[in-house]
Amino acid sequence: MYSLTKHLAFIPLFLWGSLNASNHFEDEVLPLLQDYCIDCHGPDKQKSGFRVDRRAYLLKGGDTGMSALIPGKPEKSYMIEVIKSDDPEISMPPKGGRLFDDEIEILEKWIADGAQWPGQMNDKIEEGTDHWAFKPVQRPEVSGKATNPIDVFINDRLDKEEIPRNKPADPLSLIRRASIVLTGMPPEPSRVAEFKADFTQDSNLAYEKLIDDLLASPHFGERWAQHWLDVIRWAETNGSESNLYRKMAWVYRDYVIRAFNQDLPYDEFVRQQLAGDGMGVGEALGFLVAGPHVPAATVGQEPSAIRQARADRMDEIMQTVGASMLGVTMSCARCHNHKFDPISIQDYYSMTAVFQDIEFGSRFPEFSSEHPRKMKANEIWREVAKNRNKIRNKSSAWEEDWGGYKEVHWQPLEVIGLRLNFWSGYVGLDEVEIFGLPTEDFNLASAANGTEIMTDSAFAQQGDRFPVSRVIDGKYGTQRWQASYLKEKKQNPWLEFKFKKPVKVGRLRISTNREYYYETDYLEQKSKFNFDQFLVNVKLADGTWVEIASIQKIRDLMEDDKSFGDAIGEINHFAYKLSEEGPRPSFVGSFIEPKLTRVLHRGSPENPRDVVLPGAPKILSGILGVDNEASGRARRAEFAEWMVNEENPLTSRVMANRIWQHIFGAGLVVTGGDFGRAGAPPSHPELLDWLASEFASPSRPEGTPWSMKELIRILVTSDAFKRASNPSAVGMEKDATSSLLWRFPPRRVEAEVIRDGILLATGKLNREMGGRSYRIHNVKKTYAQWKVVNNFGPETWRRMIYQERMRRVDDQIFTAFDFPDCGQVRAKRPVSTTPLQALNLMNSPFVVDQAEHLANRASMESGNNLKKSVARAFELIFSRKPSKDELQASLAVAKDRGLNIVCRALMNSNEFAFLP
Amino acid sequence: MNNNEENISSIGRSLLNRRGFMKNTGFSLGALGLSQLLNQDGLFASDNPTNFSGKAPIRPNIDPDNPYAPRDPHFEVAAKQVLIIFCPGAVSHVDTFDYKPDLIKYHGKKPPGMPAVTFEGPSGNIAKPFWEFKPKGKSGKMVSDLLPNLGELADDFCFVHSLHTQTSAHPQGENFLNTGFTMEGFPSFGSWATYALGSENEELPAFVAINDPRGPARSGKNNFGNGFLPAAFQGTDFNAKNPPANLARPASYSTSDDRSTVSLLQRLNGRHLEQFPGDADLAARIASYELAGKMQTSIPDVMDISNEPASIQQEYGTNTGTVLKKEYAKNCILARRLLEKGVRVVQLFNGSDPSGGNGITNWDSHSNIDKTHAMQAEIMDQPTAALISDMKRRGMLKDTLVVWCTEFGRMPFLQGNGTGRDHNPDAFTCFFAGAGVKKGYSYGESDNFGFKSVEGKSSVYDFNATILHLMGLDHERLSYYHNGLERRLTNVHGHVIKQVLA
Repeated sequence: MYSLTKHLAFIPLFLWGSLNASNHFEDEVLPLLQDYCIDCHGPDKQKSGFRVDRRAYLLKGGDTGMSALIPGKPEKSYMIEVIKSDDPEISMPPKGGRLFDDEIEILEKWIADGAQWPGQMNDKIEEGTDHWAFKPVQRPEVSGKATNPIDVFINDRLDKEEIPRNKPADPLSLIRRASIVLTGMPPEPSRVAEFKADFTQDSNLAYEKLIDDLLASPHFGERWAQHWLDVIRWAETNGSESNLYRKMAWVYRDYVIRAFNQDLPYDEFVRQQLAGDGMGVGEALGFLVAGPHVPAATVGQEPSAIRQARADRMDEIMQTVGASMLGVTMSCARCHNHKFDPISIQDYYSMTAVFQDIEFGSRFPEFSSEHPRKMKANEIWREVAKNRNKIRNKSSAWEEDWGGYKEVHWQPLEVIGLRLNFWSGYVGLDEVEIFGLPTEDFNLASAANGTEIMTDSAFAQQGDRFPVSRVIDGKYGTQRWQASYLKEKKQNPWLEFKFKKPVKVGRLRISTNREYYYETDYLEQKSKFNFDQFLVNVKLADGTWVEIASIQKIRDLMEDDKSFGDAIGEINHFAYKLSEEGPRPSFVGSFIEPKLTRVLHRGSPENPRDVVLPGAPKILSGILGVDNEASGRARRAEFAEWMVNEENPLTSRVMANRIWQHIFGAGLVVTGGDFGRAGAPPSHPELLDWLASEFASPSRPEGTPWSMKELIRILVTSDAFKRASNPSAVGMEKDATSSLLWRFPPRRVEAEVIRDGILLATGKLNREMGGRSYRIHNVKKTYAQWKVVNNFGPETWRRMIYQERMRRVDDQIFTAFDFPDCGQVRAKRPVSTTPLQALNLMNSPFVVDQAEHLANRASMESGNNLKKSVARAFELIFSRKPSKDELQASLAVAKDRGLNIVCRALMNSNEFAFLP
Repeated sequence: MNNNEENISSIGRSLLNRRGFMKNTGFSLGALGLSQLLNQDGLFASDNPTNFSGKAPIRPNIDPDNPYAPRDPHFEVAAKQVLIIFCPGAVSHVDTFDYKPDLIKYHGKKPPGMPAVTFEGPSGNIAKPFWEFKPKGKSGKMVSDLLPNLGELADDFCFVHSLHTQTSAHPQGENFLNTGFTMEGFPSFGSWATYALGSENEELPAFVAINDPRGPARSGKNNFGNGFLPAAFQGTDFNAKNPPANLARPASYSTSDDRSTVSLLQRLNGRHLEQFPGDADLAARIASYELAGKMQTSIPDVMDISNEPASIQQEYGTNTGTVLKKEYAKNCILARRLLEKGVRVVQLFNGSDPSGGNGITNWDSHSNIDKTHAMQAEIMDQPTAALISDMKRRGMLKDTLVVWCTEFGRMPFLQGNGTGRDHNPDAFTCFFAGAGVKKGYSYGESDNFGFKSVEGKSSVYDFNATILHLMGLDHERLSYYHNGLERRLTNVHGHVIKQVLA
């Protein structure tokens, strides 16, 4: 992947003697390199990808990505660092003790003087690659007579290998196959009957119509969204010890379903997920925070651990973007240059610079003004304002409950200080914010705005563990101030804010753990306020203190003055309504001020080195034209444009391959998340390029660039897709994995297809789309595991994509079917067969219950005639009637043990579990 | 389901006999079965895959009909089976097995070089061990009075005092010890070992995780998960009290119901298979139902400890002490019974996440360590010691390796609260016993305070590499292609700690 520039390529590498060199280099420097380094870092061995036998190699450095030699700067040259280091991990030479001081001086001086190396002063190493995936997409000519171009490529290869092609599949297999692949559910019996009738008339027309219907079905998006969620290991919890629920994270899941259903062009899909905050679809950024993270509370207090945790979160983002859109394992370049691909450690950190403004957390997603939630919110806000106006002219202050925080309002006045006296003996606060006029959102209390905060340090719990500075540090969550009653002074905690200059104040907002409220849910001890009543006093410019609000007096007035109490009640009601129906903080990422990004030497946040600019991998022309002054959004938007630029050879190939994989079971590149050298080469390189090219820039006159549905249609209307799946002797012998598609390769369906298919068959499927996930787990303590409490009741009868997705939790039925634990990116689910799957499908309450429902439905639809009921059950599960033999056997069981036992067997059968 | 021979169809019976199956169908199963069952993309990745060490991976040859069939190790093997006793929460090494007289000398002082802030916050002064250390056995190994029963076995143990880890947070520490990565989603040790080796008993899960009576540890399923390895190699979790989910026949069904279901199912599957002669995936799924039926008997059998003699019950302590101790003691007996039946890896937990319990949930003694460690020790000491002695008596230690471990150590000084010790990632102690390791031996040292490991520093990678080595597996060649890399339990690190090998 790296080569010396051409004019050097043929010069023999050992030229020591023949060089016309200066005495200093030849007599003093070169012998040191030869004595100490060349055995491991020379022409024979290149440990750590490093060699010292040419100046250009030294300039480039080894796998660490650090230049061994920076002419004129010995202090920045990595070679000097390692020969001086005491750290056994990096110190060189590794054996035989370090160099003598005068030897080190020789090397330092040599570098300081420009590292003169006679005859090699202009040598450079050019970065390049001949790996197929990094080369431009080359659209091949399609010749041949097949109607679908895909078949030309597939058939050519089969002819070459002399493998006969299977006949077309029968209509029943076809409709089951197409329905499951496109919508994740088998067809209903009535649709099968219709299709079979049409098929006898005109098989092509019937099939086209079927595909039209399936692509237009809202269930299409539910099926294909899951594939995307798998790759990015999206889940609704953090993972880690507390594994907390990510409130409203599902707005991203709904976004993905909508995108597939509306056939949002893939380039736009990419743009929105990287920079949707500037496009009115802020929830699309849920993509970036799909991976797991360790919340602050479990990282601990050590500053190095906090830095490490941030670096780990950035790495999760790198994994997500790398595996899903780019097909490159970016993480491999976190500590050193990528071992297999031309991705340097600088590339890695340049790419982290693109996402420096992203943090794992919640925010109000940016919605365009037409967004339904946005319009609903406007309506509710008008109601809040109406009620506030009712009480604004009463002389009293008032208190509002916004769930995550409380607000106290009063007539604005100019002050230089503000004091809170709490009535409770224990106070815990993560933040207090103070605002001026009703229309203003500028936080006057913020330390960043120069405000100081004071209290009596004797209130403190556990010394400095919960410092008061946290009340105005702008951070919500567990990092809070905790104070308790002071026995000696018989005093409850108080706080005093000192403003930099006189300011007008009219409102304050106070909370104990706003992060928990915004960011999580389903916790037993959630959203408690660790304070109750308090007094608000303000200090006027002349130094006098005035009480402007007393929670007790407000509450008394609410009792005495009905209209006052009612208005506050209304406000609290609308505050709640807003949080359910309006835009509300959702776990789709939060924003922070982007920090200057440096290369972290050997991946360690404790070892920051050179500053890098936001960028994409250099080998893919990843200069974005934004610098470190650019906003986070601008960085991401530029990165998105680079990603979907037609010059980027990976984006279209990776997605075309992914679509292929979900249709045929394996990708043309079987390692769908890794198109690098460690991944697999494509089985049909030309076909892959044709697909990529047709995807991004269709040659069809009516084609839409980047349309996923259109690409899918091309694939499922191919002969290859429509072939029968039964084995043939020659096919099995020559291509047992069926990767050349002499048959459609049968495979076990995914967990979701089994569950959704059962519910469809029993008629119990609730087709409601989107919204809150259905719950199967308990409400838990913060540091406890989720427990499955109900995985079969009526409230769970929705499609499985809506099942709440807790990381690494076993749902006790379908997880055993290789359902991902959402810990690592999953370009492809494994398909394994285990006895636990059998036990779950035989004995779980879900199956026992649904077998009963299926029996009831079948009987009801057959006038309680047992024979007809058995036949109906077959139809509902297999989309076909039983054979005579099957009917006989099943009827015997139904008579003897009950129809539900027949249904249980049907649900466990291979025919139901396999894609035909 | 039912496992009576007469209820297995002729197809089912022949499937259980792989040779017969191959004869009947005339197709070669090798490539197809492997690829489909294991979905081992690496088989199709580069032709000559190598991992970071430049060594070619050794792929296990897994029979799709029977993924738990025993397979050959990489080289001659000391330990056929392994018992891992994992103590979540971080056991204080300086209060148990790592004797540091300087802690007595400096008690109440704060010598230079100690950090001001540790995991939970500000640190306090050095504290002497909360229990007295005494020499034990012929080796004279100093062990504290906290663990009197285990102390008596010191001559059988091989201690490693110089372990260090990458994190001072529990879940990441558990992940790191059990999966080799602090992040989630990587295969656990037991998953790797059974992927490579299968099991000696094909009618029980190859890898059993026995959770603490109080529930799973903080990293939950990740501690025994299969990560990206096939689901067949996930740890199956059950303990003496709770069988695996969905093992039992549902209450609403009779045995006749089960028998009828199975026979009808076999008929349906048999007819379906006629259209796909030789399809290994279909055959494997049929076989999995037969195996499930067997487990419905074999698991309750192994769980039933009521027939264990009174002397054994007494030795383990199933009837004395706290409720938690009694339940843990039963789990210890279960562990022995599973190992006797040939289960490849048994992982026994002594501690849970912080939600359950009797006021303590694991070894995480941030406050009142004198009481909380004592409560935890009461649960762990006698049953664990009885388990190891019992195995020794039965000759099981000849080919079974016992690993006692925890995710990190505790600090030589107290926390700000003055009653507990904070997390110490830089020094902790674990021990081995049994197959392949030295007896009455201690390897490595932490510094005079037990603050950092100094002599023979051993990483968790080294620790895991050593356990794999003892099971006959080269940690550099046991790898699995996932998302661009030949992944290993030891990532790109690890050296076998040769000094502990017998």
